[in-house]
Amino acid sequence: MTAPILQIRGITKRYGGLTANSDISFDVAPREILSVIGPNGAGKSTLFKQIAGFVPPTGGEVLFKGSRISGLPPHRVARLGVVRTFQETTIFRSMTVRENVIVAHHLRSKASLLGFVLGSAQARADEADFARSADDIIDFLGLQPIRGEMASNLPQGHLRALGMAIGLATQPEVILLDEPFAGMNHDETMRMVGLVRRLRDERGLTVLLVEHDMPAVMKISDRIVCINFGQKIAEGTPAEIQADPRVIEAYLGSEDAAIGV
Amino acid sequence: MEQILANGLYLGAQYALVALGLTLIFSLMNVLNFAHGQMYVFGGFVTYTVVGQFGLPFVVGLLASAVVLALMGAAIEKFLFRPVIRRSKREESTMLLAAGIAFFLDAVILLLFGEKQRGVPKIVNGVFNWDMRVIMPYDRILIGVLAIAMIAGFILFMQYSRAGRAMRALAQDRVAAQLMGVDVDRYSMIGFALGAMLAGLVGGLLVTITGINLGMGGPTSIKAFLMIMIGGAGVISGAIAGGFILGMMESVGLTALAAYGDITYLVIFATLMVFLAIRPQGLMGKPWG
Amino acid sequence: MTLSKLAGAAAFLIGVFVLVPVFIALTGRWDFYYTLTSVALLSVAAAGVWLTFYIGRINIGQGAYALTGGYVSAILVTGQGLSFWATLPLAGIFCALVSVVIGLPILRLRGVYFAMVTLVLTEVARLSALALPITNGAKGITSIPLPGELSLFGLTLIPDFATLQNPKLAFYIMAVALMVLTYVVLWRIVHSRLGHLCRSLQQNEELSASIGVNTAMLRVLAYAISSFFGGLAGAIFVAISQSIYPSSFVVTDSVNFMLYCFLGGLGYVFGPMLGTLLLYFGWDLLSVAKEYQLLIYSGAMIALMLILPNGVLSLFDRKEGGK
Repeated sequence: MTAPILQIRGITKRYGGLTANSDISFDVAPREILSVIGPNGAGKSTLFKQIAGFVPPTGGEVLFKGSRISGLPPHRVARLGVVRTFQETTIFRSMTVRENVIVAHHLRSKASLLGFVLGSAQARADEADFARSADDIIDFLGLQPIRGEMASNLPQGHLRALGMAIGLATQPEVILLDEPFAGMNHDETMRMVGLVRRLRDERGLTVLLVEHDMPAVMKISDRIVCINFGQKIAEGTPAEIQADPRVIEAYLGSEDAAIGV
Repeated sequence: MEQILANGLYLGAQYALVALGLTLIFSLMNVLNFAHGQMYVFGGFVTYTVVGQFGLPFVVGLLASAVVLALMGAAIEKFLFRPVIRRSKREESTMLLAAGIAFFLDAVILLLFGEKQRGVPKIVNGVFNWDMRVIMPYDRILIGVLAIAMIAGFILFMQYSRAGRAMRALAQDRVAAQLMGVDVDRYSMIGFALGAMLAGLVGGLLVTITGINLGMGGPTSIKAFLMIMIGGAGVISGAIAGGFILGMMESVGLTALAAYGDITYLVIFATLMVFLAIRPQGLMGKPWG
Repeated sequence: MTLSKLAGAAAFLIGVFVLVPVFIALTGRWDFYYTLTSVALLSVAAAGVWLTFYIGRINIGQGAYALTGGYVSAILVTGQGLSFWATLPLAGIFCALVSVVIGLPILRLRGVYFAMVTLVLTEVARLSALALPITNGAKGITSIPLPGELSLFGLTLIPDFATLQNPKLAFYIMAVALMVLTYVVLWRIVHSRLGHLCRSLQQNEELSASIGVNTAMLRVLAYAISSFFGGLAGAIFVAISQSIYPSSFVVTDSVNFMLYCFLGGLGYVFGPMLGTLLLYFGWDLLSVAKEYQLLIYSGAMIALMLILPNGVLSLFDRKEGGK
């Protein structure tokens, strides 16, 4: 039993009188694909934000490889290796897909910003490295056909892939995906399932995802954590979760009622 | 001690009125009315013209200021701010438009009223003297009372009148208000007119005490910004709090720090910067960001 | 750098350094030197304000740094006998350092809140200049000598201004040279990684943070560079006017810098330069209108805002298809 790469311990988040997350705990094993599910408003994205450093927890902590990362600012968390991807926006609307991915390598840059302004040798070496890595990522995600497209022109699906590419550019160990299957038809979903699997299989990433698309979740997850009203109500393999009465009850009355595959 | 308090209250009431106008405009349109100080000056000059030049009673002068500024505010909102807000990509545009309007009003004031300092003779004579502990001329007391009455009137209007409730709904949530059927355009215009009117009224009130001149526009705007920074922008209670706090600080500062020269405002500013660093939304502002 | 851009740059340089002096000599309009020199130094300050816009903040406090930079230069030249040329970078650096201290707390504010605080800054600078003993209060610092000689290894790079027949031309060349330098630096920053990251702050701060950008520090850095330019402008101003008073830069100036950027176009590096030229020169030319000067000026400004809400340079947008 290997040590967990990510440990969520008693995470609680209160906004004034509202409790968004209450004492949530679970572990994530290295190279695991773990999905967080729950009805709308259950507190899933608040949890993600605390893991990635965008929101400090009111109580509890998040440990990455044994060290506390909760409460650190997002750029520090990213540097340590836990990265959240953004699916609806990208940073450089007026740059091409390839350029976006290249710049996203910023985190791993060895040259200083001043070096970039002055065009130092290290900066140029970095640029070359980044370009190669960007091409590699673009190939991996199957984005070659659109590599020269202006980011502002991309349709939803491609924008999401770009978001993932940008996340990969930071060379993370844990990647947090925010509803990667939203709005996709069957074929697209299957392709995305394959892609997420390859993130783990070929790149050795640990993948954490928040999702509503039950069939996809059941297909792709090693384990699932179910959250409702800010609390964890169930944890286990897809088979266990599907049979869990608490999970079924949580979804009764919501559109996601059909959680069978 | 009591003198400082009395002065502070008097100043605070005037300032609160100015701040209320500014905060109303800000809460409705997210626009910082750079020209607020100029509207104040304009109001003062209108009252001066009516009372000093036409010899009509003070109340008529105040009324004239109110009407002129309300019309001006409405026109500025309808013909200048509305098109710019519609057309521009960036949120800074309205701020810059406001700056342009401030300059424009300065120019108009120069042409219409000249650059001389103007005043209006005292409307009430005599001085209130309480045992040498509080000395306040009667006209100041009257103006102070009028200002407080106007503040009260404004609050009541915003709380109970239909227009007031519409504007408060608009300030809270523009989209929701629209869905409820509030005519956004109409009430933005009314709000701006009301804000301008308040500024003009204060000008009219103070022309009898401190007089008015062209150069007062800019500094008054800055003071108004200070007030809503202290109290919190877009909140009525914040504007009133900010106004009275600034009035009190000025009163204290001018008395206590007079020995050190002109540093009253320097102290106020420095304190404000520190205060804002800790609590950027002011005393009562809504937390944001 | 494409050939057409290089050609454009060359044309611009020839225009400012050769054609303008020739034109002035031929027409005898020596007053243009003063105007254009002012345009040059004001556009340096405007460049700083533009950079703050680039990280998504509205900076109405550049006048404070211009004043500060001016005083630093004046005090060092008159009090310590330093050469003016040495005080140029020192004024800039001092302002940059001060701006870091001020910027750390206030840069997290956004929109109008940040703008209001910077508005106050200019006043604070003025009041400080009045109150502090070192700045000589309301009397200001006067009789500041003209810039001295700048020589390296015995070679005179820049002659002592006092020895020149035509100091106006010298001031003009100096101001324009510094303006060109400023904009080259600005252009380089914008088109480098630093510039890309600043732009990312405008578009999506959270995403920017997740690729490892320390957003707070980046903002402070941009603000420091911006204030450096402000200080530089102030120092140049002092060299030319040979005096400085607490009211040399006031709130109106800070507002004007903002207007110059806006009118030129916030999306373009050379926007502030063009905006300064149009507005300042325009203001000067309008002095013939006497008491109607401000009216026409502000009227034209408002009209421009209604017609071209994205600045003058946005007229060229359709041709190039973006920056």
